[in-house]
Amino acid sequence: MGYYPKKSLKKEFFSSLRVFRLSVLMTIPFCFALSPAILFAGDNGPCIECHTKPEKLKVAEKAKIDPITGEIKVVPMLIDEPTFKASAHGGEDFFCIDCHQDLDGVDLSEGHKPNLKPVDCITFCHDDPADEYLQSSHVKLMKQKNKDVPTCKDCHAGLSYHYSPLGEKSPRDVPRGTDPLHRKLTIESCGSCHEEYFDSYRNNAHGQVAALGHTTTDVPVCFDCHGKHTILNSSDPESKVGKDRILETCGKCHANANASFVKHVEHPQIKNINYYTKLMVALKNARNDPENFKKVLMNPQTILCVVFVMYVGILAFTFSSFGLHSLLTWFATVRDECKRKGHDEEQH
Amino acid sequence: MKSNINYLRFGLLHRFCHFLIIISFFGLVLTGMPLAFRGYDWARWLYELLGGYPTAGFIHRICALVTFFAAFIHFIYLFYNVSVQKKKGFFWGPNSLLIQPRDIFDIIGDIKWFLGLGKRPNFDRWIYWEKFEYLSLMWGTLVMAVTGLILWFPVQFTKIIPVSVASIIDLPGIALIIHRYEAILAAGFIFTIHFFHTHLLPEKMPVDESIFTGKITEEEFKHERLNQFNRLEKQQQLENLKVAPSSLFVSFLTRLFAVPVLITGLIVTGLMFSALLVWAL
Repeated sequence: MGYYPKKSLKKEFFSSLRVFRLSVLMTIPFCFALSPAILFAGDNGPCIECHTKPEKLKVAEKAKIDPITGEIKVVPMLIDEPTFKASAHGGEDFFCIDCHQDLDGVDLSEGHKPNLKPVDCITFCHDDPADEYLQSSHVKLMKQKNKDVPTCKDCHAGLSYHYSPLGEKSPRDVPRGTDPLHRKLTIESCGSCHEEYFDSYRNNAHGQVAALGHTTTDVPVCFDCHGKHTILNSSDPESKVGKDRILETCGKCHANANASFVKHVEHPQIKNINYYTKLMVALKNARNDPENFKKVLMNPQTILCVVFVMYVGILAFTFSSFGLHSLLTWFATVRDECKRKGHDEEQH
Repeated sequence: MKSNINYLRFGLLHRFCHFLIIISFFGLVLTGMPLAFRGYDWARWLYELLGGYPTAGFIHRICALVTFFAAFIHFIYLFYNVSVQKKKGFFWGPNSLLIQPRDIFDIIGDIKWFLGLGKRPNFDRWIYWEKFEYLSLMWGTLVMAVTGLILWFPVQFTKIIPVSVASIIDLPGIALIIHRYEAILAAGFIFTIHFFHTHLLPEKMPVDESIFTGKITEEEFKHERLNQFNRLEKQQQLENLKVAPSSLFVSFLTRLFAVPVLITGLIVTGLMFSALLVWAL
């Protein structure tokens, strides 16, 4: 490296300094051009510029009346940028103005109007899910049997799990479907009503991994198999787990899933006392109602239950008998040892 | 006074297989047991410690392959002994690991000894509960291998059964239940019954070194398997089995390996047992 003369190094340094100064001077006009003056679709910069800095806002929080429930909430005007970016709305091609449409083209040099219109999620963007939901088993139950079924808010209000560091829980920050913690919480949401299915899911190969806290997209949670808004009863062929579509549903993960494979019982009843009661009743009435008995016998759940009970028996028998055997061996060995020691002492 | 005369009890191949089984069995238990006890915090902790999903699953499958390898060596050895070397006594006699009529008398003798009604019976090369452990290991390995392979390749295995059968017999579902409870049976059995019958006896505590060094002292030999000792003495084969006693260093190495392994096994048993208590109470 000592090959270069010192003079040329010095020269090089000054020339690079000149280039730097020139480039700085030339960027200044561009900086003015980007100043937050007029809002355009396609840029979140001007919004983020103020809504992440309390000192640039006129009010830090505001009281708001929920247009649907009529609740009065205190809503912070600050946005937590990382939380927003990680959320379902935080993608590259999605902009603040898409929801706050009354701000389109507003001149910001004197600030925008203090109260924006409430955001309408359904009319412009989320109209399909609402439509799909109306076709689902949940709504059918509500209409036919007047049952209390979950509506949009029952699932979605609780789902923006991560209160942003600002303490806000906003529909803006609703998490993505691939978010593992979000996926885990959906299991609990469904499970809070479908308790039996929640328990049996955790006895299954998929659910046992999920129960250990792994809910990445590799591990199926409820909605991966049953669908989100279009949930239909499994007896309906149109259901995602119905006979017309189940090959496709299982095949998403299990390549080449075949007709025998999809007969797998995803919700084993091995620990469900009600199923055993049903088995016993069918057995008791076998003479009077052979049809029902045959039906119960042909149910794949029955073999699972028999195998389970058999293994509980084997476990209980093996550990009690061999446990007793090892204990007795232990005591007898100690007894012999004591006797031998006594013998040795007598001889000495 | 311990005698300095030592005999060879286990050949190199048997010790190597036992070592392979220890390594793979612990790998399998530690990565598999959290799934069976998924509701408990310790299971979650252990699963994360071993890499979580899917790493723990990969470790589980690698250990399964090691087990297959050990079983493969063992069966090659048996096959070689029986059909090539034409060794006798594989199915019958004191060298056989299969149940013999005299085992029944040994069991009765042992029960008398437990109750203080007689002396400890004199055993031959394999004591009846050692045979039971060996046979249940063979059976258990077969069951775990078959059900494990079904769970590993569920699509391929279900392909071979027709739909009408599959709608009554859920092959992967049955395999999962058997795999889970056979695993609890195997782990519980090895970590309590096997440990307390061999390594943790008052006279052996903390470890029976003969399965690691292959050597047994004359005193232990006579105490444990007097019939075999007398038989070999009569057949004048005892001299051939005489070996130099193992050095202190080898003994130390054995303990250095075996004691942590034993403690790990006992801890896992404790956790499993605590789960049983939580469930029962």
